[in-house]
Amino acid sequence: MDIRITAAPFDPHAECAAFAADRADAGALVSFVGLCRQETAGRAVTGLTIDHYEGFTQTQIADLAADVARRYRVPDLLVIHRIGPILPGEAIVLVAALSTHRGAAFEAVQVLMDYLKTDAPLWKKETGPDGARWVEPRQDDRLRRAALENQA
Amino acid sequence: MQLVFLGKFGELAPKGLASPTLPDDVRTLADLKDWIAGQAPVLGKAMALTTTRVAVNRALVHDLSRPVRADDEIAFLPPMSGG
Repeated sequence: MDIRITAAPFDPHAECAAFAADRADAGALVSFVGLCRQETAGRAVTGLTIDHYEGFTQTQIADLAADVARRYRVPDLLVIHRIGPILPGEAIVLVAALSTHRGAAFEAVQVLMDYLKTDAPLWKKETGPDGARWVEPRQDDRLRRAALENQA
Repeated sequence: MQLVFLGKFGELAPKGLASPTLPDDVRTLADLKDWIAGQAPVLGKAMALTTTRVAVNRALVHDLSRPVRADDEIAFLPPMSGG
């Protein structure tokens, strides 16, 4: 598993290609890329800043990923998450799963993204022409997380 | 003891709160939360109005009756918004 927290922009396509290279046993690669929006609910977004907790955020995400890999029996997961300032259009997060068949890989990526929304120690602050505001978790994300808990 | 305030709590925490000198009657994490609310009411109110998670020495702790120790690093985490 490759779990990275980075302040530098990354190329999700190149990362996926490197992740999937030389995997004789893998029949499926599923990936999700979260992007920094240019607007949200009709308001312009000029950028994001993501706060993290040094020495804690990475290990927490690694624990979440290990749990998902075990539950969905995917042999390998890749997570790259940006911290610090991010510009509209840039990738915020990449989650990718390699698996023998597609079903497990699709499920693992979806579930790990749901966990990242509510359980990864990261805090987003959105900046726009009217100033900055901390992003609160969406009700939808909380409900999805609660549903996962019931399945576990 | 080191206190760490993440996300919006970090903006509301006075600088002096990072390395506090605690009175003797602050014995548990719950006492510490109450003491912080007394020292920094705006921060205390923000912490009370939302789901605040607590990490001690970089591990989440759910039982706020845990005693606090002089060499602890205690972090207060607002609801997370990653992904």
